[in-house]
Amino acid sequence: MPTKINLLVRSYLLALFLVFFSFNVLAQNVITGKVTNKANGQPIVGATIQVKGTTTVSLTNNEGVFSINAGLKAVLTVSVVGFEAVEQAVAGKSEFIFALTETTSQLNEILVTGYSSQRKKDITGSVSVVNVKDLKAVPAGSPAQMLQGRASGLNVVTSGQPGSGSNIRIRGITSFGNVDPLVIVDGVQGSLTNLNVSDIESIQVLKDAGAASIYGVRGSNGVIVVTTKKGKSGRASVTYDAYIGTQRPASGNPFNLLGTQGMADLTWLAFKNSGQTLTHPQYGSGASPVIPDYILNGPNSGVSGAISAADLAKYNVTDFSKSIYQITAANKTGTDWFHQIFQPAAIQSHTITASGGNDKNTYLFSMNYFNQQGTLMGTYLKRYSARINTTFNIKNNIRVGENLYIYNRTNPQIGNQSEGNAISMTYREQPIIPVFDINGGFAGTAAKGLGNAQNPVANQMRTFENKGNSWNIEGNIFAEVDFLKHFTARTAFGGTMGNFYNYNFGFRTYENAENNGSNSFNENAGYDRQWTWTNTVKYSNVFAGKHAVTALAGVEALEAYGRGVGGSTLGYFTDNPNFRTLSTGSSGFTNYSYAYQNSLYSLFGKVDYAFNDKYLFSATVRRDGSSRFGADKRYGIFPSFAAGWRISRENFMKDVKWIDDLKLRGSWGKLGNQTNVDPSNAFSQFGGSPGTSFYDINGTSTSSVQGFRATRIGNPKTGWEEDILTNFGIDAQLFNNKIDLSVEYYQKKINGLLFPDQAPATVGGAALPNVNIGDIQNKGVDASVTYHGAPTKDLKYDVGVIFTTYKSNITNIPGDYFDAGGSRIGTFVRNQVGHPIGSFFGYEVVGLFQDAADVSKSPVQDGAKPGRFKYKDGNGDGKISSADRGYFGNPNPKYTLGLNLDISYKNFDFSTFLYGSIGNDVINYVRYWTDFYPSFQGVKSLDALNKSWLPTRTNTTVPIAENNASFSTNQVPNSYYKENGSYLRMKSLIVGYTMPANQLKRWGIEKLRVYVQAANLFTITKYTGLDPELSGSNAAFGIDYGNYPNNQKNFNVGVNVTF
Amino acid sequence: MTHSKFKIILLGVTTSVVLFYACSKNFLEKNPLGSLDQNTLANKAGVEGVLIGAYSLLDGYGGAGGGWQSAGSNWVYGGVASDDAYKGSDPGDQADIVPIETYSPTATNGFFNQKWRAVYDGVQRCNDVLRLMAVATDISAADKKIIEAQARYLRAHYHMEAKKMWNNIPYVDETITYAAGNFNVPNTTDAWPKINADLDFAIANLPATQTAVGRVNSWAAKSLKAKALMFQKNFSGALPILKDVIANGVTAGNKKYALAANFFDNFNAETKNSSEAVFSVQQSVNDNSNGSNGGWGDVLNFPYNGGPGGCCGFYQPSISLANSFQVDAVTGLPLLDTWNATDFKSDDGINSSAAFTPDVTTPVDPRLDFTLGRRGIPYLDWGNHPGSDWVRDQNNGGPYAPKKAVYFKRQTGALTDKSFWTSGVTANNYTLIRFADVLLWAAECEVEVGSLSNAVDLVNQVRSRVKNNPSTWVKDAGGANAANYQVGLYTAFADQATGRKAVRFERKLELAMEGHRFFDLVRYGIADVELNAHIAKEKAKRTFFTSASFTKGKNEYFPIPQSQIDLSKGALKQNSGF
Repeated sequence: MPTKINLLVRSYLLALFLVFFSFNVLAQNVITGKVTNKANGQPIVGATIQVKGTTTVSLTNNEGVFSINAGLKAVLTVSVVGFEAVEQAVAGKSEFIFALTETTSQLNEILVTGYSSQRKKDITGSVSVVNVKDLKAVPAGSPAQMLQGRASGLNVVTSGQPGSGSNIRIRGITSFGNVDPLVIVDGVQGSLTNLNVSDIESIQVLKDAGAASIYGVRGSNGVIVVTTKKGKSGRASVTYDAYIGTQRPASGNPFNLLGTQGMADLTWLAFKNSGQTLTHPQYGSGASPVIPDYILNGPNSGVSGAISAADLAKYNVTDFSKSIYQITAANKTGTDWFHQIFQPAAIQSHTITASGGNDKNTYLFSMNYFNQQGTLMGTYLKRYSARINTTFNIKNNIRVGENLYIYNRTNPQIGNQSEGNAISMTYREQPIIPVFDINGGFAGTAAKGLGNAQNPVANQMRTFENKGNSWNIEGNIFAEVDFLKHFTARTAFGGTMGNFYNYNFGFRTYENAENNGSNSFNENAGYDRQWTWTNTVKYSNVFAGKHAVTALAGVEALEAYGRGVGGSTLGYFTDNPNFRTLSTGSSGFTNYSYAYQNSLYSLFGKVDYAFNDKYLFSATVRRDGSSRFGADKRYGIFPSFAAGWRISRENFMKDVKWIDDLKLRGSWGKLGNQTNVDPSNAFSQFGGSPGTSFYDINGTSTSSVQGFRATRIGNPKTGWEEDILTNFGIDAQLFNNKIDLSVEYYQKKINGLLFPDQAPATVGGAALPNVNIGDIQNKGVDASVTYHGAPTKDLKYDVGVIFTTYKSNITNIPGDYFDAGGSRIGTFVRNQVGHPIGSFFGYEVVGLFQDAADVSKSPVQDGAKPGRFKYKDGNGDGKISSADRGYFGNPNPKYTLGLNLDISYKNFDFSTFLYGSIGNDVINYVRYWTDFYPSFQGVKSLDALNKSWLPTRTNTTVPIAENNASFSTNQVPNSYYKENGSYLRMKSLIVGYTMPANQLKRWGIEKLRVYVQAANLFTITKYTGLDPELSGSNAAFGIDYGNYPNNQKNFNVGVNVTF
Repeated sequence: MTHSKFKIILLGVTTSVVLFYACSKNFLEKNPLGSLDQNTLANKAGVEGVLIGAYSLLDGYGGAGGGWQSAGSNWVYGGVASDDAYKGSDPGDQADIVPIETYSPTATNGFFNQKWRAVYDGVQRCNDVLRLMAVATDISAADKKIIEAQARYLRAHYHMEAKKMWNNIPYVDETITYAAGNFNVPNTTDAWPKINADLDFAIANLPATQTAVGRVNSWAAKSLKAKALMFQKNFSGALPILKDVIANGVTAGNKKYALAANFFDNFNAETKNSSEAVFSVQQSVNDNSNGSNGGWGDVLNFPYNGGPGGCCGFYQPSISLANSFQVDAVTGLPLLDTWNATDFKSDDGINSSAAFTPDVTTPVDPRLDFTLGRRGIPYLDWGNHPGSDWVRDQNNGGPYAPKKAVYFKRQTGALTDKSFWTSGVTANNYTLIRFADVLLWAAECEVEVGSLSNAVDLVNQVRSRVKNNPSTWVKDAGGANAANYQVGLYTAFADQATGRKAVRFERKLELAMEGHRFFDLVRYGIADVELNAHIAKEKAKRTFFTSASFTKGKNEYFPIPQSQIDLSKGALKQNSGF
């Protein structure tokens, strides 16, 4: 510990030192003025007035008025988003009026990038700027989800579950481990998931080495830089943003399932086709199935006729000390399980923001309440959050401030994409089963012959009393000092602290074929903390009016630590919620705890040089040291170089009037990745637990002796992963700034991909270390184009297209391949050298065997029979074996695109946003359960009955209904499950109306806008499942295991008020 | 701003940066939390702990590998793959077993990889013991020998598991490590000599008794050596060892080897580690392992829908297994040639709601109702088996339920694990070698290289245990025998062929549903004949057998897992026919 304290103390001294030795500059005089909109003469609030070449800055207040100290010979620049910046020499004057022209050009926009900010036109790296106003058009709890289709080069996939995380991938997938981009919120490593979108000032996505390599080892997955809003000097303003709405689940029969009679008919069809006895515990024995009146009466299943009074008296589902006696009537038409658990649900969000300040200090305070009920019962996200951002100008050259965000979150979820969740149970639980038995107990598969699914209503209702919440604090404090005219030193200390607490109760069940034998309770809590301390010194100067130089140097330390505890207990005397503590169970007292720690220490520097605003150069280098690597391989160096050429500034372009600005740029550099290395990777370790290494050597039956096993094989030689990125781009503004265009081509190669080593089982059971072998290459084109139209004074519109492609190719991994995407019948995915990541692999179905002759003339195939799948003989050897498996699908989209249209006419505004993912395949694994009779005795699809192969119905793709599992039907992954996953979705449609300002004034309201919104109004797709937007891991994605759909229609009304 | 001020600032910045940097070295030293390194374990207590870890994989669960895929009881590979049992359950549940059952397995079948990984994890845990012991300094030479002998016994056991499954296997000793990079061990050298050597070391260095009943002793080592020799068809080598074991052997707890009076004591957690238990997988429950130490690999093998365990209806005894227990009404001996000619009456195809009376008149060996559950007969203390209500899909799995690994109702919660959702995780040991097994090996050796009359004696010893203890037979509610039980003794074997047939049949009856049958059939060299006959008979009722057939020269062994072949960079060669 002394080391850490030393480090802290010394860094603190450094910061103090810098502050202490700062000083004032030359003679000053006070200049005042006003900034207005040239078009209408209205004051402009929040415009920045800067003394050129210094960091002396002031902002205009509510009346557009500013005051600033500047030298008599200084030059003032005035800038504000949406207007052309102007420059004017003070030349002894003390009062100015600046009338700014509105612009659609974003060239002078200041973008916050790594550790500093830059004008957009000066940027040589690849940076996507997200339009934060558009972002809000998608009603969701997480800004991550809203990013979909909003930045070129970015793919986002999210499930519809409230509060679910998103798969965010910048320029494809370059690792099988973690590919989440680094998220920097106000300079501190953080997360997008829980930010209040109303607090966000700007989001920039750094995509190439030129932009991201300042983040070194953390930058390989790209960086998302988020800046939150600050107060602006001027009159205090209070705004209220809110919307409220309803979400509507899919209607109809989304899984295309049979009803009660259909299931009985299919059962008989399958038995007949298999030559089996026509006997079933529910449908009796005979030529036709008979639907019983009761599916269960105590020990008897499939009962017809009335239940005797004596039996009714035996009913018992609560007292487990006696026999359970349940009586359940048959639902003769069929239970619609999907709509039993999916119902319309409310969503609402309310944010109040108060902000203001003067030329010395600013403040912003916001509070948000967000509550999204899931359409799936028992799921929701409820979040309370508050933000306090303040800045203080202590002296003209010293600024201090802080950003603080605190939130509380309650977010019960289901385990998405699993066969055991409530969604999957809706296509597994038979329709003859009602929700409740005759006395209000849960009904289920305890009635014989109906499979092993569970009542999804019961499962969800039993979670209602489970509780879980987390508290998190994120933020930083910073101090900045300007000194020696061209230098700014900055120190910032920030981090995150999180606490979570959960407990849940597992009930004994009685209604299922496979019941929980004991009630249980578990409770867990933990905390995570992480701090980052960054110290930078920046130098900027312009020599001879033409040579602009900016240099930045910094040191940064980061440390993360976390601990958690938990326990569980069984055998509660009662299900009473008041009895639920860890100490009140009767057996199975177990507990655990865990801990982790890691640290990072870095030095970095960056130099930008611009000659005459025409030739731009930038060089970055970062040296990271990480605790995750062994002492020999601890440090890595990540350089990058970038250059830009603003051709439009050349003389020969002066006459090309339709080009307002044209820039070519290119970059090359290295980034790193350390997230895919366990902090213990370098160490060989032993451990063990009762389940993995303890043994009852004494033969006691009820206790075991502690034992150990090798848990991890260490590799001290594992070192840095280097991601080598090359990027070329063109930025242009054309036709009098009506068109903004940016097109980029990139290539990403990996040198020493961190990948778990692969070795045969003869090496033992310990986890193998990650090693630096492997390369996944990605290439692609990102583009964005926006057209700004203003055909009349009152009508304005913007049309934007965001276009993203990537092509991944596995170039090298240990062992040549590995399989992923597991299922009941094996893996659907093979990641192999020479193929795109996540490719679908298995037997390719070429058709169905039509008759015995077809079987005999086809290659020899196990289980071949008329009506079953005929597989492709990939190697042509006349027999079907595992060597005939091949790649039959690719889950990577050919391209994704976002289309945005904003129109404003007088006080009305209209906007719509469409998102499309084109050319991706998906695996509809749900069909394993619903199209094949022997894949467990659950409910089956209409196709299985009405479209399955019969000698008299041969023109079909659905195999014969039968009661045998076979290699030629449902036993192996094959292309039958593949579907076209392309889709185009209208994500949002908004119509808003802004009240005329003059009418509002008397109520003290500055601005009032109301709007109505429809989200996910339609999705165009050929996919037959619920939703082709499927989350997954990086090694296997695009597989539908029963996904919480993200396409639920959502209708909202909202209001934005400013006081 | 003066020049000197600037210098001071520069100096300050530089110094601070340097200091900051100097501190960073220790700042980046972060040791892993919550685990042990090799140094902590390189001593007697540590090595003993790692040895316990090596024992703990005898059940095949808790390390690499799966649950039922790698179960120590081999119910899939020894049982379902033979004529003992069907996969059972629902046709689609654990569909990977279907090709194993129908002799069309592929090298990509996940079951084989799980089993392979589990046994080699076991092997390397044994090797960890040897490697750690080599650097420990506080262990006496005598203790070292006992520790090494146990580790090498277990290593031989795990290799034998692989040997039985795949025949061509890599032998992995303690020199094989990740760090040395020599882990791509080929499977082209016969592993028997090294397995024999491990067992010889174990025999020479193990004590006759141990402080813990779960530890291997020299007699268990001799028994396993004899078993290994039987698999090597070295009957003359095995016979003297078996004679020694039968005459002098004791359990690790110092009980003279003997058959338990009650046959079913071998399958009851209350009476485990009896004089008949030569070497067992020790199973424990409610020991904070959340069920992992209690027969997890057999958790699927219980009746369905309200019966004991509650899940999942797998490992259902076959029609022909039930038929095997029919005996001659006069002699009480098995029908060595005609056992499968008529089907023993069952409720196959009859709902529980329809009336059915079990067969209580046909003479049967009492072991029938110790081995399988059938409608109308008491199922341990659970009452009468109700028939199809306890069967997940009779069309697929037939009418019967397994019995030998099932727990008694009275044991629920005490000898079954309470933390698991079913009660099917039990403290029932799986007996890897029981004394009846030893006696029948000896009988087999006598038939092959010794005396037929000795073989008769040995078989009769096994039969007498049942014959002489009629009070232990399954009784109906009124206390009478639940069926017409008959068991007689052989007077003589007419010739070697008859003796061979009788001994093999006795093994089938005595050890049915204990995971040995398939490996025995392969060892006898008659797997193709027996299993194809089985398929021919069964496929009328079990339609999944429709196109199945056992190919001689191929299906005796399972395919080497394709993923292991791929990972071994060519060191592993596939078995012939796959």
